[in-house]
Amino acid sequence: MRRESWIVMGTMLLGVPLVAQGKPVTVTGIRGVTFGAVLPGVPRVVLRTDPANSGQFDIKGPKGNVLLSFVMPLTMTGPAGAQMPLTFGASDAGYSQTQSIGSQVGFDPKQPFTAAMPNNGRASVFVGGTANPATNQRAGAYTATIILNVTVLP
Amino acid sequence: MRITKLSLVVAALVLTGTALQAQSNNASITATASVQTPINVLGAQQLNFGNVFPGVNKTVNATDLTNGGRFDVTGQASTPVTLSFTLPATLSSGGNTMPIVSYTGVHALLATQVGGVAFSPAAGATPTLSGTGALFVWVGAQVQPATNQVAGVYTGSVVMTVVY
Repeated sequence: MRRESWIVMGTMLLGVPLVAQGKPVTVTGIRGVTFGAVLPGVPRVVLRTDPANSGQFDIKGPKGNVLLSFVMPLTMTGPAGAQMPLTFGASDAGYSQTQSIGSQVGFDPKQPFTAAMPNNGRASVFVGGTANPATNQRAGAYTATIILNVTVLP
Repeated sequence: MRITKLSLVVAALVLTGTALQAQSNNASITATASVQTPINVLGAQQLNFGNVFPGVNKTVNATDLTNGGRFDVTGQASTPVTLSFTLPATLSSGGNTMPIVSYTGVHALLATQVGGVAFSPAAGATPTLSGTGALFVWVGAQVQPATNQVAGVYTGSVVMTVVY
């Protein structure tokens, strides 16, 4: 029994470096979605191909498939809790194996999307959207949080 | 038997290690916007034709600071807006009506109408708010009472809509 314990402990210790050897997936928020100055009653669209205002995430991970899924906000929150609707179209997110904003495959950020990580293990996701201020939208600064989950698929 | 048991434990641990490799991660970014000042429109002065006589047309020009109708607009400084109007074709007094035609308009950045620009209310206009976010709009028109126009107070509503 003592011998078994040693073997088990040894295997556990061995198991840790084995896991560490697998390239971990990391996601980094690079740039937020910037709608800038918005006029009440006038929707403001930011395209995922907009190099200055689109959002960007960088992904590092093992070669192979990953599942991308967003947690998208329905509204932005402003002064005194004022809400401004946000909408995302069926092609408002884009995946780039080359991390180039000019070379994306569009997808629906409201649906999970399977993407293939390139050999170098680096890719980017870009995101746009539309802010829809009401005609009587309260003036001020509005913010919302966009979350990207990346899961390595077996 | 002992070896088999041990093998199972080791195998389970290795499998656990493999399962851990199916990993996930996440990050967040922020969406930001700066909403500008909403538009506010005030009906500041009525379009007033005063006394009119049957059979005698009467015109109030948009340049008439006393009798012309005036709207005061406030909003985001130095921002273009679009003006559109709903203009009545008649004024009413009970069941009686009197035609109102030939609408004219002036928009200006100052309440004194200095530097004002004439426009047709029927066509609308696209002026720009002043550096302080102000705009003043005047409306004139002509009423055409019939020779047998029934005496009374005739009214109608001129509606101006302003959007960015």
